[in-house]
Amino acid sequence: MENSSEDYRIQSFDVDTQKLLKTALKDPSSLDLEKVSNIIVDQSLKDPLFSKEAARICYTIVQAEAKQNNGTVFRSHLLNRLQQEFKEREQMRKRSLQEWVGYVTFICNVFDYIKVNNMSMVALVLPVYECLMRLAEPDALLNEEEVECLVLQLHRIGEQLEEVSSQRMDELFFLLRDGFLLEEGLTFMARLLLLEILEFRAGGWMLSSTAHKYYYSEIAD
Amino acid sequence: MSHRYRATRSDARVSDLKHRSSGPSRWSHCRKRGIDGSLRTHSDEDVDDGLSDSRHSSFTTPESAGPVSRCGRSSDWGSQVENEKMRQDVHRDMQRYRRRILSAEVSQRERKASSGSSGSCDSREGENIETDEAVLMRRQKQIGYGKNTLAYDRYIKEVPKHMRQPGVHPKTPNKFRKYSRRSWDQQIKLWRVKLHAWDPPAEGSQENTLSDNIEELDLEDIVDIELDFPALADSQNASTSLPVHSSSAEDQDCSATPVKIQKTEEPNMA
Repeated sequence: MENSSEDYRIQSFDVDTQKLLKTALKDPSSLDLEKVSNIIVDQSLKDPLFSKEAARICYTIVQAEAKQNNGTVFRSHLLNRLQQEFKEREQMRKRSLQEWVGYVTFICNVFDYIKVNNMSMVALVLPVYECLMRLAEPDALLNEEEVECLVLQLHRIGEQLEEVSSQRMDELFFLLRDGFLLEEGLTFMARLLLLEILEFRAGGWMLSSTAHKYYYSEIAD
Repeated sequence: MSHRYRATRSDARVSDLKHRSSGPSRWSHCRKRGIDGSLRTHSDEDVDDGLSDSRHSSFTTPESAGPVSRCGRSSDWGSQVENEKMRQDVHRDMQRYRRRILSAEVSQRERKASSGSSGSCDSREGENIETDEAVLMRRQKQIGYGKNTLAYDRYIKEVPKHMRQPGVHPKTPNKFRKYSRRSWDQQIKLWRVKLHAWDPPAEGSQENTLSDNIEELDLEDIVDIELDFPALADSQNASTSLPVHSSSAEDQDCSATPVKIQKTEEPNMA
């Protein structure tokens, strides 16, 4: 598919890197794909808004490499880099909430976009759950950006995750209910987001129209 | 790349316990029995994470893969995803193969019944399928290495399937047939040698030199030539299965020897 590179918002990169990414999208086998994957991951960690685009870029590169020579080199490098970061996620979170949120956003988007045989990548299921469970812990619920990240990812991939392991989703939601009820330091926004996601899942990963009106209507009584 | 990792507590939750396999000494994990003669079991006495890799020294790397180990350290996500995909593909291939075998058998039985002949072809291949997942995965990997070459690419472009002559053109070994390990490995070796005839021009090979390649083989390696009787493949001690007449192996069908089928059909063409 011919997506102009504007679709991927790569203008934030310097010119050389932009050229590199453009080549990666069309002719990946000619490149050092480890380097490319590192560039993409690094930027996602710095810029959470880029994370979603980053996953789309990765998807396109994976497709392009498969078409070129049935290769999976880029995907392997990407996954192994994600694994590396996952191992150090606690330090990452202490170092920078923004990086941690960027990481979770990115890994969830990769989970969403990149499928193998039309199914989610098996290696990512448990790590994704671990990330979301971390976000649902009491200390994380105190930070609005972590709560926002959590509900955003659940909206996007919650249903898929539940399909793969409903038991773990149940565990996650035990944490969420506890957090909602017991944590005193939650901001109003955090409580609103948690309530919405509780209703969302209870409704089979969608909101009834009345609930939708409540949460998303601009007109307040 | 995998050697950067050191086991951490969180790692123990996520990673596979399988790869913590080394014993007290560097090489003890290769030995089946301990110093007192008793069989070794896997213990958790890791000396060092780096030593628990059980890689063979003659490990060869496929042409275009990245620097990821495929033998010991399969706990990295990249390998996990690859292996899972291969597993799924192998199972899917097996379903397809079974269907083809069964439909071939059915149509063959119908032919025999109507012609009244008692062909002696071994049509019970459906019961003789290799189903061990570990074996199938290993074989698929070996096939993958061969198909992942420029030579194979050029070969399939140059010679379409219907133009292939048995014996002359290389044919991918059929991973679903029962073969001994030696037999299989030898088939793979011969197949890959044959494929070299299609190496890119820099090496100067064209189809004409195919016969040279074959003659270069030590003919003592070829003790037994399989004539589509799978049961015989394992009976020799150094048997090599050259599926010369079983052109059907390419399509992984059981059609016995084509000659026999033609013969049984002739009486019906009166």
